[in-house]
Amino acid sequence: MHTTPWTVAGVSLGSRLLLGTARYPSPQVLSEAVQASGTQVLTVGLRRLQPEQGGGNAFWQRVRDTGCHVLPNTAGCHSAQEAITLAHMAREIFGTAWIKLEVVGDDYTLQPDPFGTVEAARTLVREGFVVFAYTTDDLVTAQRLRDAGCAAIMPWAAPIGTGRGPLNPYALATLRARLRDAVLIVDAGLGLPSHAAQVMEMGFDAVLLNTAVAQAGDPVRMAQAFAHAVTAGRLAFNATPMPVQRTAQASTPTVGMPFWHEN
Amino acid sequence: MNTLSLNGRAMTTRAPTLQALLIERGYDLGAACACALNSTFVPRSQWPLQALHDGDRVDVIAPITGG
Repeated sequence: MHTTPWTVAGVSLGSRLLLGTARYPSPQVLSEAVQASGTQVLTVGLRRLQPEQGGGNAFWQRVRDTGCHVLPNTAGCHSAQEAITLAHMAREIFGTAWIKLEVVGDDYTLQPDPFGTVEAARTLVREGFVVFAYTTDDLVTAQRLRDAGCAAIMPWAAPIGTGRGPLNPYALATLRARLRDAVLIVDAGLGLPSHAAQVMEMGFDAVLLNTAVAQAGDPVRMAQAFAHAVTAGRLAFNATPMPVQRTAQASTPTVGMPFWHEN
Repeated sequence: MNTLSLNGRAMTTRAPTLQALLIERGYDLGAACACALNSTFVPRSQWPLQALHDGDRVDVIAPITGG
């Protein structure tokens, strides 16, 4: 279920839904949810490997089998330098210059560190990486990330994993209005398909989800539901929603209304 | 004999290079993994040449699920 294609980092994509690969009940459910979502981009992570674990080959092979583009993240990094080093490691393992840049600023809310994120983005772009920068809904930070040359700027809707939906629609709408030419992907905090539809109706280019699908009672059906919502939201944006009115406006024409007489 | 930190754990080794350390510790060199030494990326092609010193910090990472 695709809308008109869109382009990020020079790649044309049909689906506007990017999907995470964590927290599914099983690898098989992950594969089925990926297929049901129609996504073409999957996020993956990196963690320390002990020799007895044998490596992440099985998971990596499963991701490759989907045929999706891979977007490695720098989740867990607390400084620009950590994120830069992990990006280099990811590029070697996955064979892609794409990187979802995350620099944690606060361990309780997992709020991104705007200073570290911008610093890392500048370096990584200079080094040839294609940076998808995870950030808050702060306008000035987003502007700095755009100026740094990020391929996509990914504001949160709410803290990651909360499923609360857009906490500050005004800030998100402002981002869209002020960064008209940037690729904007809402990443984190969405819990329901209606949340995804809401931000797509604002004109965001895409959404990135993980927990809302993976932790649903039926992740495969939820993946489908989100795919429909993303498509619906984009169609609605392209259709230009009606202006909001202050007062009631009769939808049935009032001219010729029966039983009305001038007194 | 060097005392190193491997993935956050202290250890002693006689391995002279990063690749020798990986082999000594039982890593599968064919696995999808990458290495950093003292928080700096070491490309795979450099593993056989990368000398180790006392106090070095080595990280070996691999793909996992992620959001």
